[in-house]
Amino acid sequence: MSLIEIKSVSFAYGTQKVLDKLSFSVQENDFLAILGPNGAGKTTLVHLLAGLLKPQSGRIQIDGKSIRAYSRAELAGKIAMVRQGTTPTFGFTVRQTVMMARYFAGGRNLFETRQDCAIVEQALEMTDTRRFADRPLHALSGGERQRVFIARALAQQTPVLLLDEPTSHLDLKHQIGIFELLKNLRHNERKTVIVVSHDLNLVQHYAEMYLLLADDGRTLYQRDGGGLPAATIESFFGVTGVEGTLAGRKVFVPTGIADRHNGVQ
Amino acid sequence: MLNVGETTGDAFKRSVWVLAVMSIVLLFGCREQTNPTEPVADGAMRIVSMAPNLTEILFALGLDDEVVGVTRHCNYPPQALTKPKIGTFWQPDVEAVLAGRPTLVIAEDFAQQRQLTEQLERLGCATLTVKIETIAQLYDGILSIGQAVGRIEQAQTLISRLKAAQDVLQTSIADQPPLKVLWVIQRQPLRVAGTKTFINEMIEAVGGVNAIGPTVNVYPPISAEDVIAAWPDVIIEPANMPNSREAQTRSAGEFYAAFRSVPAVRNKRVYVIDGDLVSRLSPRLDQSLAEIARCLRQD
Amino acid sequence: MDLTPNKLWIRILAATAFLFAAIAVCLLIGSVPVSLFDALRGPTHDGQSNIPYEIIVHYRLPRMVLAAIIGAALAASGCVFQAILRNPLADPYILGISSGAGLGTLAAVLLGWSWTVFGMSAMMLTAFAGALATTWLVWGVGRAAGRANITGLLLAGVVVNAFLSSVIMFLTSIARADQVQTTMFWLMGSISEMQQVEVIAASGLLTAAGVGVLLRLGPSLNMLSFGADEAAALGLSVSRTCAAAFAVAALMTSLAVCLGGLVGFVGLIVPHAVRLVAGPDHRQLIPVSALVGAAFVVIADTVARVVVAPAMLPVGVVTAMVGGPFFLILLVRYMRNLHWQVK
Repeated sequence: MSLIEIKSVSFAYGTQKVLDKLSFSVQENDFLAILGPNGAGKTTLVHLLAGLLKPQSGRIQIDGKSIRAYSRAELAGKIAMVRQGTTPTFGFTVRQTVMMARYFAGGRNLFETRQDCAIVEQALEMTDTRRFADRPLHALSGGERQRVFIARALAQQTPVLLLDEPTSHLDLKHQIGIFELLKNLRHNERKTVIVVSHDLNLVQHYAEMYLLLADDGRTLYQRDGGGLPAATIESFFGVTGVEGTLAGRKVFVPTGIADRHNGVQ
Repeated sequence: MLNVGETTGDAFKRSVWVLAVMSIVLLFGCREQTNPTEPVADGAMRIVSMAPNLTEILFALGLDDEVVGVTRHCNYPPQALTKPKIGTFWQPDVEAVLAGRPTLVIAEDFAQQRQLTEQLERLGCATLTVKIETIAQLYDGILSIGQAVGRIEQAQTLISRLKAAQDVLQTSIADQPPLKVLWVIQRQPLRVAGTKTFINEMIEAVGGVNAIGPTVNVYPPISAEDVIAAWPDVIIEPANMPNSREAQTRSAGEFYAAFRSVPAVRNKRVYVIDGDLVSRLSPRLDQSLAEIARCLRQD
Repeated sequence: MDLTPNKLWIRILAATAFLFAAIAVCLLIGSVPVSLFDALRGPTHDGQSNIPYEIIVHYRLPRMVLAAIIGAALAASGCVFQAILRNPLADPYILGISSGAGLGTLAAVLLGWSWTVFGMSAMMLTAFAGALATTWLVWGVGRAAGRANITGLLLAGVVVNAFLSSVIMFLTSIARADQVQTTMFWLMGSISEMQQVEVIAASGLLTAAGVGVLLRLGPSLNMLSFGADEAAALGLSVSRTCAAAFAVAALMTSLAVCLGGLVGFVGLIVPHAVRLVAGPDHRQLIPVSALVGAAFVVIADTVARVVVAPAMLPVGVVTAMVGGPFFLILLVRYMRNLHWQVK
């Protein structure tokens, strides 16, 4: 039985169709990358998986149960989401922010337990955010804040991690750091990782499953690791480019914009 | 606000001109008739009154048919109720006033009525503005109105009668120690008549003294503790609506029980009286004073 | 910076001590000079009732307690509205409660209702009813705009406020001057005195219960600061929690308005002041704000009683005159730090 099952899901914002009868499944311990150009529906899919949006048609099942049958708290115990976060209205510190993940995960105690504190410290350590744990969020850079939100998702201790462009603001060191972290979590704690990313090369190296969404409704689901063929990338992203292998890693370098009418230039 | 093609300098000069012209017009264009001394010919008099006490004065001077317009709150004497209504004291109805084709409009010296009188003046209608906020002003007002409507004798008779009544009361209480009176115009929040009111004058005229000291407000709201500090001997409440006198009397016991330590409540000297009568300075001043004196005198 | 139960208790105790100190001092201040020594002689003295005792126990104390209840209710509600609406400028009246209460009061005055229930005047009860009804209306309209949609709620509040204000304006224009003045003065915040002990006790219990519930909702309110989606992703049932918090806060605000008219700025300023000192964690913010708010209104009421003695100022005037400048300072400080840059 798949961990997550998406069956024929369609979603439209008003009359604008974004996802049309999308079907795929996610197995336990997968590292799935969701890729595609802007507007293809990646963030929409993330919101659907997190239960924040309801599909107009189709079914989403988690652990064999319809996502609708989960309460908010139960769902948060299964899937932790990281997305383009907002700064809170009031000045919460990093530690307070990450600690919020423990409320529902830890049994709704009014005060955090020692175990909660330990989990939070560990999450801060893993995302290299411990050194500014007592600083308010608004005093951090965008990238530092992003790592804090990842730490919060980790503190939720869920089997599934759902991340929407987790490295978009991060520097090179932290980009690698986060993906390494995800890889370790997947191997050491058997977590299932679903990542939306624009960074093709990082994704090709770390992910093993790929879901490509094009802005014209085409989808492609590939389960064997080993990267994506250049032709697929070019077709889905509307670019031209070259692929190669560097130090054993598959690399794709875009070189131009594809001409729609004539195909690839 | 530059016009097309104007420079700032031109605009400035233009503004100065406009202001100058406006000032001149305002300066010379306004006339306020406060003391017309020639009486109008008897048969042609059509008078509109803009306040309840002014209405009472007109009727007390012997006019009746000549009164062609009164406010909606003019309820004394009974004949006033049948007269055409021209709005309220606070919101006079200009059109209704004009519809009565008045030869004279009598108004009080308040901002709302000043606007009305200015309008009427511009339309060629004679107006008389009186200010009746003290007993002395009441007598002056009666005289002015008497002069304006050609009833000087009746005015003087009325004034003498009222003054006499006042004197009688004055002498009858000359040797008594003044009782402290708390005049409650509203219960929640608790508001009383202060020392700057004509009510205060009436209280003193019958030998009492206001239990509340001088305040900034004319009708100050006070706290329960101030009632204790005031230590009134008598509490007088004008019934604020014509039919509410019994209801207020009944509930007064319960309400003032909270102040059972003050003499007024201890000695059961809480009186609810006719609000209409005592809340205006009118030719019935003698009745008002008598009513208040009655409250102070009962032992 | 973690909040432990001990830390919370200490801070609550400190705030409580501050409140009691404020009450103790203010009990001895008033338009009638009273000496504590005289008052302590007991209810009767030389066979007559002891006036200082009576003043302190029967007049000042109930009034202080009511003032404290009003301050606590408004401050705690202010925290909640700021959290739910994610708006630091929110106060308990932002969703139309003020105009609803105003309309209720004006209606009672115009209809000449002077009955009382348990010593509570018609004006108080219609203000309460008006406030609650408006809350219910705004919530309904806001929900029609979208599930847990904050903007919808704010807009609903603005619309309902505008509509009710126009009705108030209409009624004011046809009312007598004294009726208008009565309504206005009561609305400006006058803490009704001489309330029966049962009323005071019930109000106190309700407010304490409300603060307790909101304290329990503290972690949820913290999460809501990040927005409905993020809070939901953390496990919060946003619409249920918002509805519950909103209901409690609206009830407490309506109670405060019923007891004392529209006392402004307490619900706006006190949460901010407490946040400045103790941080934004709602588990702490709510109880401490309640206590500080209580003290604030007690002090403001004392000033209102004394500054133009023997007359009385409406409490709302004092809170506004203190709150206004303080709010300006807060605004400048916050603009510099841009605490609420929501990206």
